[in-house]
Amino acid sequence: MTDSRWVGRSYETAPFEVTEQSIRAYMAAVGDVAEDDELMAPPTYAMVYGFDAYWQLWTDQEVALDVAHLVHGEQRFSFQRPVRPGDRIRTTGRLTAINARNDMELVTFELKARDAEDQPVSDGTALFIIRKA
Amino acid sequence: MRTLDFEQVSPGQALPPLTKHVTVEQIRQYAEASGDRNPIHLDESFARSAGLPGVIAHGMLTMAFANQMVTDWLGNRSLLKSLHGRFAGMVVPGDDVTCSGTVASKDDGTRRVVINLVVTNQRGEKVFNKGVAEAEFPPQRSSTHAA
Repeated sequence: MTDSRWVGRSYETAPFEVTEQSIRAYMAAVGDVAEDDELMAPPTYAMVYGFDAYWQLWTDQEVALDVAHLVHGEQRFSFQRPVRPGDRIRTTGRLTAINARNDMELVTFELKARDAEDQPVSDGTALFIIRKA
Repeated sequence: MRTLDFEQVSPGQALPPLTKHVTVEQIRQYAEASGDRNPIHLDESFARSAGLPGVIAHGMLTMAFANQMVTDWLGNRSLLKSLHGRFAGMVVPGDDVTCSGTVASKDDGTRRVVINLVVTNQRGEKVFNKGVAEAEFPPQRSSTHAA
């Protein structure tokens, strides 16, 4: 069981520079290639610019989540505005809950992404399930 | 893409479904594009040692498919305001997953539409459920209501 004293710990990404290349690589990977009037990222691209916050949580040696047995259980996003090439986005993730349920552990991670003008871009909540080894 | 007309949306309406055939190559491509190189998605023996049947697709790849079904229908990615759902089952290479959606409600005042979503595999098992997307349409142009 992960120590609940880590609830409240937060992680911040470096500014993520959104490029046309990165958006197009994502669109090609998921197969979502329809063109809008101007290039904008598919909304779930939030997982790309925010990914380093998730990575920092998963690799935090003190929190020591059992990532080999971690699966993504649930995900919520809210989008305040579309993301385009040239955006610089910083995402902050906060570990907000660790709960035991039957033979599983549920970890809640809440994220807020903001642009270079400190305006909101998107919010996210991830629920991770760690199966007991 | 052409933006959907809000007036054409009605509760109970089904969205055009979207089917995707998931391959090892696509999972690798998603890992590269997203940065998520967790070995449970890339390394067959690691995945087995973690108690999985083999490599599994990222849950976020399935959610991206659900996102695409909704934004293809909306005809404009900027209309999508929220997306939520549960990863109810594993997706593995070779699976054919189908995204389905239904308009749950429509508010003429806020011009918001709520869509219920589910993604099933070729055996009819839900791999993403309790999905909900919300879209907001731009304000109506005044020309149609000229005095």
